[in-house]
Amino acid sequence: MLPTSVYRYTTVLSFVLAGLGGFVSTRAEEPSLVQGTLLAPKAFRAAAAKVQPAVVRIEGFGGIAAGADGGGYQAPGEGPTTGVVLSSDGYIVTSTFNFLRKPPIITVVTADGRRHVAQLLGRDETCKLCLLKIDGAESLAAATFAPRSEVKVGQWAIAVGVGFGGNQPALSAGIISATSRISGKAVQTDANTSPANYGGPLVDLDGRVIGICVPLSADAKSEAAGAEWYDSGIGFAVPLDGLDKQIAALKEGKTLERGYLAIQAEPTGNPPAGAVIKQVIPEFAAAKAGLLAGDQIISVGGTEILDVTHLASVIGRYYLGDKVEVLIERAKERKTIAVELGKAPPPPQPPMPKPGDKGNEPPQPDRPKPAPPKPAEPEKPTESPR
Amino acid sequence: MLRTQLWLPILLALVTAAALADEHPAIDGAFADAVAIAQRRTVKIYGGSIGRSPGYGTGLIVSSAGEILTAQGVFLGGDSLRVALPSGETHAATVVRRSQEYQTALLKIEAATPDHWDLAQPGSAEQGDWVLAVSNAFKVADGAEPLSVNIGVVGLRMKLDARRGVMDFPYEAEALLYDAITSNPGAAGGAVVTTEGKLVGMIGRVIESKSTNTRLNYAVPADVLAKFVQGEDSPPVVASNPGTKADLGIRLFALGGRKSPAYVDRVLPGSPAGLAGLKTDDLVVTIAGQVVRDAGDFRRIVESLPLGQEVVVEVKRKNELLSVRMTPVAEK
Repeated sequence: MLPTSVYRYTTVLSFVLAGLGGFVSTRAEEPSLVQGTLLAPKAFRAAAAKVQPAVVRIEGFGGIAAGADGGGYQAPGEGPTTGVVLSSDGYIVTSTFNFLRKPPIITVVTADGRRHVAQLLGRDETCKLCLLKIDGAESLAAATFAPRSEVKVGQWAIAVGVGFGGNQPALSAGIISATSRISGKAVQTDANTSPANYGGPLVDLDGRVIGICVPLSADAKSEAAGAEWYDSGIGFAVPLDGLDKQIAALKEGKTLERGYLAIQAEPTGNPPAGAVIKQVIPEFAAAKAGLLAGDQIISVGGTEILDVTHLASVIGRYYLGDKVEVLIERAKERKTIAVELGKAPPPPQPPMPKPGDKGNEPPQPDRPKPAPPKPAEPEKPTESPR
Repeated sequence: MLRTQLWLPILLALVTAAALADEHPAIDGAFADAVAIAQRRTVKIYGGSIGRSPGYGTGLIVSSAGEILTAQGVFLGGDSLRVALPSGETHAATVVRRSQEYQTALLKIEAATPDHWDLAQPGSAEQGDWVLAVSNAFKVADGAEPLSVNIGVVGLRMKLDARRGVMDFPYEAEALLYDAITSNPGAAGGAVVTTEGKLVGMIGRVIESKSTNTRLNYAVPADVLAKFVQGEDSPPVVASNPGTKADLGIRLFALGGRKSPAYVDRVLPGSPAGLAGLKTDDLVVTIAGQVVRDAGDFRRIVESLPLGQEVVVEVKRKNELLSVRMTPVAEK
């Protein structure tokens, strides 16, 4: 990661300069304009102060491999992490990143300094959100959430988190870089998001929550994927606006996973457009529903499919078990097929080792291929929902 | 609306600055003066290199007699330590003093350095304030070339939790955390200044988490630097109970190891915990306001409790958090 960090943080300053260098103004305006820049920190502080009563510190006790690899100022889920009060009756929204170690005991310290025992409810693995519940809470200060339609590229965004420890949250300021990323689940910001504020709020200058800071990555699916971008000027926050259904499911303790069509599609033409099915993985979702190789996918759930990347993005908006209407063209005829999205198909099989290769064990077709070495992260969350 | 009030003028200010920079070098926005001051008082340092450690760094001129502050680092070793002044003039440097706990070193060159930082009059930056970080990260600048500048805001000033666990980093003082990215090779020793060009800190050595691969961006605050230059190292840690360790009468599961949660195995009858009504299977969550994440924490915190002084202990029993008071006694 060494060289990438240097690219980080051209900040608002150079960002704006690069884009709009040709703009001309008069010298007379200069003093008040400089003053505006110098006043921005006051607005950052005011915004952070507004959300602070709804920012909580989360502590985990125990859990797998706690401290096993030692070192570092912030082992994931080991130091304090951040959450946001969703409602005054004790629901806390935070990031699954904060529970990589599956701590069996979780406490939450609310902004008034009181410590509570919390239960981990459901999780949405597609956007790394999860819910906690504090029992017996009635009058917690809940955060105010900004409507997603009001979030604009270029507006100030302030990330707040307690992951550095201590009683005061730290803040980082930046701008909104994009309003729709990762299948539309997230907004992008150049404020620093890192283990210091994953699970915490990204707020606007009015202190309203734009989204919950989470590590996300377009292609990697592991729970910590995206954290490596912490100092690259690329951070993500998930807006809760429009997630009512998902939040209701999380309250019931459900685990929401990504759903798959399980096909390989290829674009046609130049520039590439559309998505034609090249291969249907047997026994998975598309195959079960009767999609065939050669079918062209016209639309999914009413959304016209522009190309293969767009198809992946549109499917990414749904969850495992969702039923989607797929409009296809087969032999010049259009046809709607309902598909229930399923599990991810296995990755393509690696070639069999040739006799005489190093470590020539006999092939063991019954055993899945060994996972690449990484910290123990059971496929199924062990602490999972009651 | 706060947002429109601020955003527009800021945008315009920056744009104006860019447009006018060529014709009117004196008018270039809110940060230029501060950067200009910092460039005059910050130096490039070249030294020895071992393995992957960079053989260079950045330093702050802190007196008119050629005294230069920088961060501890392997580049200070070796025989050919050199300092390149902002003019491009280079001088051989010697290490006068180093401090482990501040991770700071004082160098000296035989040259007059009239333009220097005044550690007696540091700037102050509170949370959210702009700070400019000026350093030779990645050795981008050479000779008389100006140093690289990053902007960010102050995140928080606090004592680092970094030493917890096995983290091998001896920095003991408070750190100024900010969101400019300075944890890069050669940046340590650079200047962190306010928009008025006052020094608020010196960029600290790289601290990296081995488990998350994230790094901390922080500065050693100016008041800490002043203490170091005055030769005032922080007072040695005095044990609160010289010779004796405190005890609460709580015994944890012995087999769990240092990193397991602090579950109570036994409560000694008549002990402080016994009198307070703690029970087997309670989980100790905090003692005297400090979080007890594991058995190692528990031992460390309990042993150093002041004897005879009542403390609050929070325990989790089933799904309840109980808060009880007890008074530590000397360990028998």
